[in-house]
Amino acid sequence: MKILLGKVLINYPYFAAVILFAIGSATVLTRSNLFKKLIGINIMESAIFLMFIAAGSRRDGVVPILHMDDSLRPYINPLPSALMLTGIVVSVSVTAFALALIVRLYRFYGTTDAKRMSDIRNGVAKE
Amino acid sequence: MTAVIKTHLPVFVVAAPLFVSFLLSPMARRFGWVQSLVVGVQGLGLLLAVYLAGMILKSSGVPIIYSMGGWPAPWGIELWTGSLGAFFLLVVAGVTLPISLYAVNNLSDEVGDATRSTRFFVLYLLLAGVLAGMALTNDLFNIFVLVEVATISCCGLVSARRGPNAAKAAFNYLILATLGSGLILGGIGLVYMITGNLNMGFAGIALNGVWQDYPHVVWMAMSFFLVGFGVKAALFPLHVWLPDAHSTAPTPASAILSGLAVKGYIICLVKILFGVFEVHLLDVFRLDQILVLLGMLAILAGSILALAQGELKRRLAFSTVAQVGYIVLGFGLMNIKGVAGTLFYLASHAVIKSTLFLAAGALISATGKTHVKDFAGVGRKMPITMGVFSIASLGLVGIPLFSGFVGKWYLLLGSLEVGNLTAAGVIGIGSVLCAIYLFPIIRTAYFEPAPEDDWQDPGVPQRLALVMLGIAVIGLGVLPGPLLQLAQKAAADLLIIP
Repeated sequence: MKILLGKVLINYPYFAAVILFAIGSATVLTRSNLFKKLIGINIMESAIFLMFIAAGSRRDGVVPILHMDDSLRPYINPLPSALMLTGIVVSVSVTAFALALIVRLYRFYGTTDAKRMSDIRNGVAKE
Repeated sequence: MTAVIKTHLPVFVVAAPLFVSFLLSPMARRFGWVQSLVVGVQGLGLLLAVYLAGMILKSSGVPIIYSMGGWPAPWGIELWTGSLGAFFLLVVAGVTLPISLYAVNNLSDEVGDATRSTRFFVLYLLLAGVLAGMALTNDLFNIFVLVEVATISCCGLVSARRGPNAAKAAFNYLILATLGSGLILGGIGLVYMITGNLNMGFAGIALNGVWQDYPHVVWMAMSFFLVGFGVKAALFPLHVWLPDAHSTAPTPASAILSGLAVKGYIICLVKILFGVFEVHLLDVFRLDQILVLLGMLAILAGSILALAQGELKRRLAFSTVAQVGYIVLGFGLMNIKGVAGTLFYLASHAVIKSTLFLAAGALISATGKTHVKDFAGVGRKMPITMGVFSIASLGLVGIPLFSGFVGKWYLLLGSLEVGNLTAAGVIGIGSVLCAIYLFPIIRTAYFEPAPEDDWQDPGVPQRLALVMLGIAVIGLGVLPGPLLQLAQKAAADLLIIP
């Protein structure tokens, strides 16, 4: 038990990532407000970015830029950080696109709530 | 000079549509140029894809490996034109050309003026280039980027139509697809953490050595990939976004989404499952049985849901859910016949479903009606459209001499080879259900009296596109030879059988 707890404490970034991922995906799937869904998506993506960055980092690591004097000190793995830059760009563009769609929906329905939207749509269909 | 072109061919096939797509938007005022450029680059892509596939076939499956920027494999990014890549590239190029031909001078009703139509073509070419990239890439992170670009361009295509329904469908699609991308990225992260490689070949080798130390991580990565790509490929319980998205999109967009985009994700999933985890790991973790089970569920549920739909495009969209089931089932069989059959079925369904959606779009825009019972007498008034629709329906059901038959036949042989009679039975039931939901449309169109309205076949480019696809459906059924050979080589590569 003590060993397990120690493992969890040492790997706390992963633990945080799992919790964030659960919060994010639960928000996406259970909320009917479109903005909240979008925020959920962003939380979930942050969780995965955190997992990647944690995989690349190491304790007492330095920035992986080569200096003559301290080239022997351990440095962090730059690849996951570089990948996550791409990931952040992707997530920003998805967010922008989703916001544009929400604006279009709001102009028509006057609400950002998915449930009320479908109510309005069904009401239109009945008339 | 030719040698230089030859060595850079794989990257050119992917980059050409992407490059042209960004050239288009400033040209919106000269819409004629935009259209000819789009069709031209697709035609060039088809020629190059045929050439590459011929080279792979001639060298009996020796891959053409291209290192981006001259950096060799574990550090650089590879484009791997193996038999699977050449096969899917050929399918992508062969289907995108007729669809773009269909879109010529035909978007004003559904999309809007020249500016909006140009934007549509930008997204269309982006998707075509990305699908070609999915066929050739051999790098895990590259797959993530391609999948994301494909998702955004798919959502853009869905929302191309004005009005709230398209925006709602696109938003739902975007949210679920982004959830899927998150899972895929998580899976890639887990694989990277235990293997230290993003190149699929090297990751596979590393994973072979260490998987016994991290069985839970491997399980988690596998399920992340399966669910992530499953959402994007509309695998049965995760298909909820598909019917709205595919039926509200403009006609050419529905055709490419249902015909190709869904398959692109399946090809990526298969590349990761068979390329990184490899067959024996899939065996250890029983993934073959999971795939077969999911496939059978999707066939039955998709077909029954399709039966319940009254709107023509929604019926076709649910039929895609069922056909994805066939494809996933085939990969779960894990023998040469099953996997080759499922690859061939993937190609034939790409052709058939695009044909059906294009023909349905032509019917709907000519008659202004959407319900399957409304098309009485269309067969005589629109002979080309309805003729091609009937050919494609016969192909989808799997009548001999049409392309669907070859794939279904090999799927049946494959499932009998592993002794899975249930799967064989479900394949048969799926065909019968498919006949039940498609043939009544044909019967109404030919054998019921036509109203007095003046309905006509669409314009010349649209007819040309429909006839090209119809010929492809029959051609693949009568002479499956080279494509089937390529599929068998790809299956042997995936299953690592020399």
